Amino acid sequence: MKRYIHPRYTFFPLLVSLLMVLGTSASAQETTEEETGPDKRPAKPAFESGLLFDQQTSTIPVKNTLEFVIQHRFATVENGISDLWGIWGVSNIRLGLNFVPMKNLMVGWGTTKYKKAQDFQVKYNILQQTRSNTIPVSLTLYSNWQIDCSADAAFGDSYKFSNRYSYFTELIITRRFSNALSVQVAPTFTHFNAVDSLVDHDRIGISMGARYKVSPQISLIATYDLPLKIKGITEWNPVPDPAEPNFCVGAEISTSTHAFHLWLGSSQGILPQEVMMTNKNNFFDGQFLLGLNITRLWNF
Amino acid sequence: MKTSKMLRITTITMLMLLFVAAGSVFAQQKQPGGWKANMPAKYKTMKGKGDVAAGKELYIKHCKSCHGPKGLGDGPKAASMKTFPGDFSGSKFQSYSDGELYYITVIGYEEMPAYEKKVTDDEDRWALVAYMRSLKK
Repeated sequence: MKRYIHPRYTFFPLLVSLLMVLGTSASAQETTEEETGPDKRPAKPAFESGLLFDQQTSTIPVKNTLEFVIQHRFATVENGISDLWGIWGVSNIRLGLNFVPMKNLMVGWGTTKYKKAQDFQVKYNILQQTRSNTIPVSLTLYSNWQIDCSADAAFGDSYKFSNRYSYFTELIITRRFSNALSVQVAPTFTHFNAVDSLVDHDRIGISMGARYKVSPQISLIATYDLPLKIKGITEWNPVPDPAEPNFCVGAEISTSTHAFHLWLGSSQGILPQEVMMTNKNNFFDGQFLLGLNITRLWNF
Repeated sequence: MKTSKMLRITTITMLMLLFVAAGSVFAQQKQPGGWKANMPAKYKTMKGKGDVAAGKELYIKHCKSCHGPKGLGDGPKAASMKTFPGDFSGSKFQSYSDGELYYITVIGYEEMPAYEKKVTDDEDRWALVAYMRSLKK
């Protein structure tokens, strides 16, 4: 299996991986120095909410919590003042509701402006990092199912209802290094039942994100979603180029029940399969946009 | 024409007075209290140790918007509440036992919401109590 990755896109993944390895060894050393027995309680949440800009996190609220999510992506800044750097341009919006019916499990539904998409998602914490680092990372499985509700004509001549489906699955590996620094890496798999010609149905990718808290309520965040060009799973020769990587940088403000995200990022698609499969914007060519997330929690 | 203008000015003046009067009624906040009657006895003598620095961080996230940056009950949301959020620096508040502060913080009462599902860790709850203690003048 041969991978074709542009060298420019490898720096961020390598940096995140290096941070995780260094952090794990440092924390393990601290653990052995403790005089008391290892603290096996789960570590405090690595992130303030279940979202990290366009990505999911390992954070799942306590049982019987309802989360309302508003995700907004303006148009790209390319047109400058004429559309107020994308704020007056065509935007994409998703509204979602998530619920935690049992410990470590979250289920959710959402509706998005693009494709009039309906989605259903599930997230489960398989393993949680412990305070003593006897378990050094958290493992979280996230999966969703999107139904594209565009007009039938959008799916060509041989229309079937199942053409509307797409799926996304990832295994999120999270490490909370300290109160301030948390990092996550996630191998991802995306599948669309129907795609345009010369586009693959499947895409393997990798998502990375890091948060650094600068005050009890404010954090700086950077995320990176990299669709991989893997010859072994392509349906075409030559191998078609994947979507552009999605780089985001911005800040988070969190309160007791809210998290607000404000960032510059390249993808206008909101669901992760759209990020991995359809993003055409290259952040470093000036094709980025303003993104906003708001989450609100209610405990029952 | 002149009568109509006078009538308009009088009406606007009356409405403004009405708003001012209503504002002063709402501004009279009830003093906090009444929670002891429902408090289970176990809280009275509860003891715990908490880290003040960790408590401060939690306080800023969960409490500051109502109780204010120094616990004086002057946070941005305080003015719109029926009950004064309390002065944590005062002798009355500081005379409560640690267990009583834990109870008010975690279980809540009236406008004070329960934080047992937001601050789930016992260590964090005691950290909040420790920080509130540190606000004593």
